[in-house]
Parts: sequence; C-alpha cells; structure tokens
Amino acid sequence: MASIDIKNLKKAYGTFSVLHGIDLLIKDGEFIVLVGPSGCGKSTLLRMIAGLEDVSEGEIQIDGLRVNERHPKDRDIAMVFQSYALYPHMTVAENMSYSLRLRRAAKETTARAVSAASQKLGLDPFLERRPKALSGGQRQRVAMGRAIVRQPKAFLFDEPLSNLDARLREQMRAEIKKMHADLKATSIYVTHDQIEAMTLADRIVAMHGGVVQQVGSPLELYDRPANLFVAGFIGSPGMNFLEGRAEDGGLRLRDGSLVVLGALSKDLKGQEVTVGVRPEHVVLHHEGEGMSARVDLIEPTGFGIIVHLQLNGLPIKVFTLDRSALSCGPNIGVTLPAEHLHLFDAQGIRQGA
Amino acid sequence: MSVAATRGAPYHRKPWLKRMADSSEPYLYSAPALILIVVVMLVPLVLGISYAFRDIQLLNPFSGGYIGLEHFRALGQDDAFYRALKNTLWWTGASVLLQFVFGLILALLLDRPFWGRGVVQALVFLPWAVPSFLAGLNWAWLFNPVIGPLPHWFFALGLMDEPGNLLSDPRYAMWGPIIANVWWGIPFFAITLLAALQAIPRDLYEAASIDGANWFQRFSSITLPFLAPTIAITVLLRTVWISNFADLIVVMTGGGPADRTQIVASYIFTQAFKRLDFGYASAIALVLLGLLMIYSMLIILLRQSLINKD
Ligand SMILES: Nc1ncnc2c1ncn2[C@@H]1O[C@H](COP(=O)(O)OP(=O)(O)OP(=O)(O)O)[C@@H](O)[C@H]1O
Ligand SMILES: [Mg+2]
Repeated sequence: MASIDIKNLKKAYGTFSVLHGIDLLIKDGEFIVLVGPSGCGKSTLLRMIAGLEDVSEGEIQIDGLRVNERHPKDRDIAMVFQSYALYPHMTVAENMSYSLRLRRAAKETTARAVSAASQKLGLDPFLERRPKALSGGQRQRVAMGRAIVRQPKAFLFDEPLSNLDARLREQMRAEIKKMHADLKATSIYVTHDQIEAMTLADRIVAMHGGVVQQVGSPLELYDRPANLFVAGFIGSPGMNFLEGRAEDGGLRLRDGSLVVLGALSKDLKGQEVTVGVRPEHVVLHHEGEGMSARVDLIEPTGFGIIVHLQLNGLPIKVFTLDRSALSCGPNIGVTLPAEHLHLFDAQGIRQGA
Repeated sequence: MSVAATRGAPYHRKPWLKRMADSSEPYLYSAPALILIVVVMLVPLVLGISYAFRDIQLLNPFSGGYIGLEHFRALGQDDAFYRALKNTLWWTGASVLLQFVFGLILALLLDRPFWGRGVVQALVFLPWAVPSFLAGLNWAWLFNPVIGPLPHWFFALGLMDEPGNLLSDPRYAMWGPIIANVWWGIPFFAITLLAALQAIPRDLYEAASIDGANWFQRFSSITLPFLAPTIAITVLLRTVWISNFADLIVVMTGGGPADRTQIVASYIFTQAFKRLDFGYASAIALVLLGLLMIYSMLIILLRQSLINKD
C-alpha cells in the first residue's frame, strides 16, 4: 500500500503535447477514478505511473520516492488492461502465479496466494485452462487475480470492464468495490462509465485536454461542478445550459426573450453567463403555470421519463419519475428552481456557492 | 425392379444417365487439375525413380537396360557417397543453425522502432533477391586472395598464416559455402520471424514487465512460445531445402578440394552432369529423397505429439 504523488507531470510525443502539468496527491488506500472524454490523456497518465511511458517533465513519487527512472518491474505496481493481456500460453493458474514465480517466492506461498485469489474470484474450476477457453468475464477475473496475488503497492485499471456486457459490468463493479473494501489498496481506475466513476470512487479526477478540471468526491463533482466542462461531463442525461445576459428577474437570451429565474447573484448583472440545471431538477407543471415550453420528444426509460422540451427555442431535457408526463399535451409549463441552478461566468468558471 | 424403385423414391426418380452424371460431377470438375498434377508431378517422378533401376549412361549407347538394385549395391560400397552424406549433415546443420540464430537476432533488432527502419529492413532483405549462382560467384571472389579482401583481413586478424584461399584449404573449405549460404539465407528467417514477432500483442510485454519480468524472462515466456510454431516450420523447411541446395557448392568449390565439400546433392550433380551417369545419380537422389522423407515424418510426429500435449 502506498501513496502516489504526481507533481507537474507533463507528457509530449514529439511536439504534440498530451498532458500539460498534472498535479495529484493520492493518499494511501484511496480509490481514484480518472474520467474524461476520449483522447484526454487518461491512459497516458496511467501508463506513466506504471512506467510504460517516459516522463517528459515533472515527477512521480511512490511512497515519497521518485520513480521516474524506474523500470515498471521495479515499481511494484499491478495493472489490469482493457484487453486483459493474459499470457495465452499459460494456464489460468500460471497466469496468476507468474509474477510470484519471477520473484522466486516459495512454492507454498505462491500456491496459497493463487488459491486465495481464485477462490475470491470464483476461478477455481478454471485454474488449469488456457485463457483461450474462457469467456470474457472469466478472463477479466483472471486479469484481476493476476493483479491481486502479489499484493502490490497500487493497482492501476485501464477501462477494465469496457469489454463486458452491461449486466456483467454491474456485477464486476460491485466485486471491485468489495475487493477494494477488503484489500484497501491504493487504486487508480480509468473509465468512461459515469456509474462506475460515481459508485467506485473515493475521489474523481475529471480531465479534459490533458488538464485536470476538478478533483473531488463524486457528489462534490455532481453537486458543485467547478466549471462548464465538469458540469456537462458528469451526469446522464447531461446538464442543461442556457446562455445569455444576467438581468433582474432572469436571463436575457440571445434572441431577446427572457427566461424567468430566481434571483441571480447581483455582481453578475449585465454579464454574459451560462446557467446550468440538471434534468431531474427542472419542474414540470400543467400548461399555463411557469414558463411555457413545447414538447419535442418523450423517452420513457422504464425507471423514469426523459422529456425533451423547447424553451424559447433552447433545447431542455427533463428527467421525471412522474408517469403522467407520458400523456402531456404539445405544450407544458416549466420552472427552473433557483436553489438548483449552477451559474458559470463567460470563462465557464463556477460562480457563487 | 421398377416397382421397388418407384416405392423407394416415388417423386425423385431420375433417368440412370442423369444419376450417373450427378454422381460423377465432382470428379469431372476436379479432373483437369488431377490430370495436370499427374502429368506434371507424378510422371516425371516415376520416370526419375525408374532411372535408378536402369543403367543410363549418356556416353554409352548400349546402356538403358534394367539392372535392378545394382546401383544401390554400388552405392552401399561407395565411400565418396558416405563422405558426402557426412558433409551434408555438417553443411545443413551449420547453415540452418547459423541462419536461424542470425535471422532471429536480426528480426529482434528490426522489431524495435528506430530512425530509418524502413530503409534498413529493405536493405537487409536484399541478399534474398540475389540469384544463388551470383551469390556463389561473389563469395568465391571474396575468398580469393587475388581479387577479394577477405583473406587479407583474416591474415591481418591472425586467423590465417598467410592470405590464402579458404576454399582450397581442405580443413576449412566447407566454411566458404556455409558462410555464403548463411549470408544468403538469413533474410528468409529474418522475414518470417519478424512477421511472427510483429503479430505478438504489445500489451503482453507491458503486462509482463509490470509483473516483474526482465528482458530474458519476457523473451522466454512470451516471445519464444509465440515464435515456436514459426520456428518449427521454417527450420523444417530450410533443412530440407538446404540439404538439397547444391548451387553454392557447385559454383564455389565444385565439391573440392578432394571431395571435402561434396554434399549428396552436389554429388548427384557431379554424377549426372560430369560423369553423365544418370542412372547412378537417380539412385543417389532416391536415397536422399528417402532420408528427407524419414526426417520430415519424424518432425511431423514430433509436432503431433507436442500439439497433443497442449
Ligand atoms: N505514441 C503516441 N504518439 C503520439 N500521440 C499519442 C501516442 N499515444 C497517445 N497519443 C495521443 O495522446 C492523447 C491521449 O491518449 P490517451 O490514450 O491517453 O487517451 P485516453 O484519455 O486514454 O483516451 P480513451 O478514453 O479513448 O482511452 C491522444 O490524443 C493520442 O492521440
Ligand atoms: Mg485510454
């Protein structure tokens, strides 16, 4: 178990800069989830921590020791690849024991570690099989098993569940959570999946374009996104944004119409702002109450209903559990409750509390 | 009979001509290819084999008669043949081993990215494009102290007492064609092994180095298992090929000095085109064919047993 300290880490491929100075302190035993759009440098950051990519600038410390120049094999870190990267010529048991055999661990220790891991992951019936003869989910477990047998200082996961179907992903997600509660190992987990990020993380690191946008607990990112990017990236369906000029009584949109909002902060008056509101916070009424909006599309998800509206020409998504929304007319009333509004200035930085 | 047929297949009764055409259809379709194979491959093979049992000497107009196993009896007492057999083992073993080792090293070097890799790859594969006779001549000249630099370099390095011709030294003459053969054959191994190397998923190496494997451990637990099938098949192919491959020897030494570089294949060539004894040459060829077939069988059995063990 270890803490990982990343200081002003930069990565460039030739003249193409991928990471622009990442600072991140990961505490011992913490579960960190990296999220961000494709190509933002999540895998690059992870692979630099593992030692698979050279550091262009900055420093990585594990337990206070600089590891920039250390070979991956000397960093005592385990990694689970998206492709699993199981050794096809070895059986499941050999795959899992490989790292221990390389370390010349005693035979009994190795056997015990492998059987403990295989028991935990339900791999006992497959120990003598080759990876070829396993299903995707079973391979995923072997990859996990290979990581946990050697009790490394830290675990790195690069989208480990993205090749599994939805149901299996849900199940493995729960198992990873249990495993972390069990082993309390420092973990860094890269994912595209909102729910994985929200459910697994102690802290989420939201990245965009090689820059860390916000670090915080899942609910912090959800409730108080630091900027427009995080606000739009976290949450599904995504947050609604209204752009315009702050005025008394509401927001003056580009087309001149006024959206009635609760009091906007006084010091923003006259400024270009973006107002964000999550779909589940928009309140629907019968036609005539609140602002009038046109109903574009109704998507029942089973759990709830997503209603797509046009409010003064702007698209707004609403998420509601109220099934009467299914039978609403062509027009409907909405209000955007003041206590649920997120306010961003022209630079996209969060304003107010 | 017609009653039975009607009862058996009341709705599918076809005239016998049609049925016959139907059943012979696949044979008719494949007939052209089969006939071609028989004419092109089997007829010459059978003819060649039949020479081994006949007395065929170009210079003797009365030869051509059937003499049974007479050639094989003579072969059994032919010391030159046994020496050629021993030389063949030596020639084939050394050539294949060195070609493989250098080819593998080359493939491993070319597998990692470096500046100008494309050009180097193309250059490395050049020897393969050189006709074998040209390669033989080229190396014969290189070993010739009058025009080639090699003897002078060997002399300067202290490997030789005087800058003489390696090819005329009975002790070391075999090394000449072997070196030429290695130079000529490395690209074959390099190409095939490089293709196999590039098919190995990179993330396996990454996973292994994270698991704590150093270069040798990664090589032995990932690279080798992946290359094994390619190695087996290329070594098998090259062994058969090289033991049959007399071009370089014929061009560089002609089997001399004192038959020191005579291999079975070049011995066949000598018997057929220098002594013009086609019958005897065919008998030797038949023995070589038999030996190579036994070798191939052994390899195939070995492979089978290895696969079954998996
Ligand atoms: N070897 C390389 N040479 C040049 N550019 C590279 C190289 N590897 C990655 N990149 C670039 O670095 C950027 C970040 O890549 P990275 O794989 O870290 O993205 P990611 O956040 O993991 O994306 P994804 O979610 O799709 O996996 C991308 O724009 C990619 O094109
Ligand atoms: Mg990635």
